[in-house]
Amino acid sequence: MRPGPAEEISAAIADGMIPAHVYGDPEVFELERRNLFPRTWVFLGHTSEIPHPGDFVLRRIVDDSFIVTRDDTGRIGVHLNMCLHRGMQVCRAEMGNTRMFRCPYHAWSYRNDGSLAGLPFHDEAYGGEEGLSRDRHRLVAPARVETYNGLMFAAVEDPGISLEDFLGDFRFYLDLYTAQSESGLELRGPQRWRVNANWKIGCENFVGDMYHTPYTHRSVVDIGLFREPKAHKRKEGVLYHCGVGGGTTYKLPPGDFTERMRYVGYPDIMIDRMAALWSEPQRRMVGDDGFMVSAATLFPNLSLVHNWPIVREGEDVVPFISLRQWHPVSATETEVLSWFAVDAEAPDDFKADSYKAYLMCFGSSGMFEQDDIENWVSITTAAAGSMAHRLQLNSRMGLLHDGGQVGRPLDDFPGPGFARVGYGEFNQRNWLQMWSRHLFPPGAGDTTGRDTGGER
Amino acid sequence: MTGTTSGSGGKFRTSLPHDDPRHLIAHHFLNEEAALLDAAAWHLWLELLTPDITYLMPVRVTTMADTDPSTLGTHARMDHFAEDLYSLRKRVERLSGGHAWTEDPPSRTRHLVTNVRTFTAETDPPVPEPTGVGAVVEVESALLLFRSRGDDRPPEFLSAGRRDLLRHTEHGWRLAHRSVTVDESVLRTQNLAILL
Ligand code: FES
Ligand SMILES: [Fe+2]
Repeated sequence: MRPGPAEEISAAIADGMIPAHVYGDPEVFELERRNLFPRTWVFLGHTSEIPHPGDFVLRRIVDDSFIVTRDDTGRIGVHLNMCLHRGMQVCRAEMGNTRMFRCPYHAWSYRNDGSLAGLPFHDEAYGGEEGLSRDRHRLVAPARVETYNGLMFAAVEDPGISLEDFLGDFRFYLDLYTAQSESGLELRGPQRWRVNANWKIGCENFVGDMYHTPYTHRSVVDIGLFREPKAHKRKEGVLYHCGVGGGTTYKLPPGDFTERMRYVGYPDIMIDRMAALWSEPQRRMVGDDGFMVSAATLFPNLSLVHNWPIVREGEDVVPFISLRQWHPVSATETEVLSWFAVDAEAPDDFKADSYKAYLMCFGSSGMFEQDDIENWVSITTAAAGSMAHRLQLNSRMGLLHDGGQVGRPLDDFPGPGFARVGYGEFNQRNWLQMWSRHLFPPGAGDTTGRDTGGER
Repeated sequence: MTGTTSGSGGKFRTSLPHDDPRHLIAHHFLNEEAALLDAAAWHLWLELLTPDITYLMPVRVTTMADTDPSTLGTHARMDHFAEDLYSLRKRVERLSGGHAWTEDPPSRTRHLVTNVRTFTAETDPPVPEPTGVGAVVEVESALLLFRSRGDDRPPEFLSAGRRDLLRHTEHGWRLAHRSVTVDESVLRTQNLAILL
């Protein structure tokens, strides 16, 4: 029997080659829609987006719309935006505050915890509780909803693993972005826009592509947005990969923890909080080894970025953090959701400057993002062509023909997983292998999302 | 006749008549500006800005009709643009530096400016002459931006309203503030490597 597309893709990827059509093929998208997204933890938003009882935002997992609420008791809930009666979408606003979602069709109404509160003519039409018992009806929920550092995730079907276990040791790195004080992050946004690019390309770029920075982002270096022309220094950074996530770092000039945090623009009051909150190895990664987190991706489609441009003529740099989701619309279209994120306890003037730094670099108008997405749209256009079925893209950077590797993992890196200095596509290959395992239907592949046998 | 009328939608301002000198100045300014933008004359465009320019484009969101009308449809905490002269200048330097790949090949744009409505703006201290140095004019316009790139992608449109403050400086009329109210919550454009 001829192997199916999932088998062919997996075999090529195990060898570091990527069948080009995976970035533009509706058949592959259908495998992702059916087998991947319903069966892993998917990011929905951050608790700071719904701080008060009754607050809600609307978010999607592929083509399912979910209402993410904080109910009257303060609990987070996630419910499918589909009326139990005839299927109307009960919520048509993308954000707001309400105690009740009333379906516009026949006016069944649901509390903000998803339970059915009432329906018109309950007695006359249904014979009251005997015909339709209200407390046995609530909006459909995903199998699991859990949060970590305020990041809210849902799994449509039970992935058989808790969110914490899914994140595993990647939390070491995630904390550097999301836990700079006890209060954690607050998010602004998202900006949303649609681009004619396949969703996977952004994930792979952020998980480990330090190699593109010097050329793709040449223009932002040209205009002096950074303290030092640093694009060519990219190869001095470390690539790390750990379970379901991986990312890139910059190597900072000599200094201790405080000096290096100051170098990227953090004020002392924030540095003190991070020093108190972070573990000794986390502090050592920055303070002793001088590696500062930059881009990262958490499988499947959440990326993070941290950078530090100059926001005012003649002044020092200011760091910013962005969370971004590559929301799949089709094989050739992605909706980008890009949030500005900042430590909730940061001083107000830091928050204002950091926001400015974000807008200049990332998001719909960001000067980095513009050139990134230009590449991804172009790849997707080419990958949707029929010749793409005959081409395997070379994603073997760091591998030798004889199976050996260029360089080797650091053995004294303070963080979990593995890390190595310099360019390489180790992280992209790990991401792709995780992805290809999820193309198979239940039972046919490892679907726990765990990186059970990734490349090191 | 400038003033306000009250209707079912609340206060609705009436603009200056179209033969008012302030309207003629504002309309002329917007057309000249659009010509510069469509010609990618970014550096000349920068010269039209006051040093204290604020240039905003808030993110629009879909909210229910009963939401507080003052924030209706606008995400109070997020923008596509929140620029000052420094960041606008950096954007222009990037676009004209030869390495902004997303604009290479460049977009072919057409800034279609219409529905121009001009209003008197108070100044402090008041200017004796309504169009003299120091005078400020408020102008609203509708913008339809057509953008085409390459030959294998469909063109993109951005529809927006703009509210500008024009100030008469000793160098001439300059843009002191712009806020762009884009008409989509999810932009259908690859990026904002353009100016509105
Ligand atoms: S479809 Fe919702 S009440 Fe009938
Ligand atoms: Fe990039």
